[in-house]
Amino acid sequence: MESLVVLEAEVLGHFKNLPITNTLLASWIAMFILAVVSILATRKVQLIPSGLQSLFEIIVDFGYTTVEDLAGSKKAKAFFPIVMTFFLFILFSNWLGLMPGFATIKFEGEHFLRSMNSDLNMTLGLALTSAALTHAFAIYYLGIFGYLKKWFALNPVFLFVGLLELVGEVTKVLSLSLRLFGNIFAGEVALLAVSSIFAFVAPLPFYFLEIIVGFVQAAVFAMLTLVFMVLLSEKHAQEH
Amino acid sequence: MEILHQFGVNPVLLIAQGVNFIILLFILKMFLYKPLLNVLEERKKRIAESLKNAEEIEKRLQETNEKIDVMIGKAAKEAQKIIDESRKEGVLYLEETKERAGRMAEEVIKKSKEAARAEALKIEQEVMSKMARIVAAGMEKVTGRILNNKTQREIIEKSIKNLS
Repeated sequence: MESLVVLEAEVLGHFKNLPITNTLLASWIAMFILAVVSILATRKVQLIPSGLQSLFEIIVDFGYTTVEDLAGSKKAKAFFPIVMTFFLFILFSNWLGLMPGFATIKFEGEHFLRSMNSDLNMTLGLALTSAALTHAFAIYYLGIFGYLKKWFALNPVFLFVGLLELVGEVTKVLSLSLRLFGNIFAGEVALLAVSSIFAFVAPLPFYFLEIIVGFVQAAVFAMLTLVFMVLLSEKHAQEH
Repeated sequence: MEILHQFGVNPVLLIAQGVNFIILLFILKMFLYKPLLNVLEERKKRIAESLKNAEEIEKRLQETNEKIDVMIGKAAKEAQKIIDESRKEGVLYLEETKERAGRMAEEVIKKSKEAARAEALKIEQEVMSKMARIVAAGMEKVTGRILNNKTQREIIEKSIKNLS
């Protein structure tokens, strides 16, 4: 039996320079579904909510209060959409990856669809976006000098600390991306392994587990992004 | 960098995912966050407003109740006053009426006594004159003559004295 799982996402085709992988396709589907659902939810916004609107109101309200608690009401307006989008995007794509059809339908010898976050490209892309936005906010809130002061100082001790923190920034990106990738990829492998042993009923507990993991990882990614943003855009506690 | 290659990391795909995220961010911002946050804000405002209104209504109700209490108190006092006054007046009127009735009764009694006395006097006089005439007639028959006025009177008076 050939290797059960491949780390690399399978390429379905090319659009000019862009390789269309099955994970990229899955991310587009997740985006599409999210967009459609959100348009449906807010098509007729009512003061007395019902149906989809009330569900999303609960989610948005909870997300907004969480961001507000951590970041303060001023920065919450800027941070909230990003944090919430990370959460919803990752959550939807994780759960979408559990749908039937993923990793089963083949297209020209390759899997047609594959859970988005089981490809390091996708998670690394999200983590880099998160880091880029975080630093952009830091520059916006602190000014370019205040931002640079975080990393570089004339005091040799602080210079060293700053350099360490700079390395820490790289680690943040790696940990964010690898955590998400590892969890979802491992889940895929576990599901595949159990399904190949006995495809009926046996994978069910693992599916439940994956539902929870998918939610938790989305929440972790979003919360960490929020915390990084808050920390980085805060002024240094002691300034000389 | 070999490990990155093993994972199939491709800069183009990284950028593609970043673009994906940005697109999704704008879509969700436009269609999900903005309308929902607006409606949440509006609802919050409405609730605050209605709470304030309820408070005001409560306050006004209390004021009205107080006013009503004061009015009722005033009205009760006034009513008591009116009752007291009318009672006093009633007593006064009763006494007056009694007095007047008493006076009237006295007057009536007096008048009727007087009338009775007058009547009695008249009757007496009438009786006397009739009796005198009868006596005179009797005398005339007895004596056979008509006494003159003087003697007639004397005799009459004497006989009346004897009679009574």
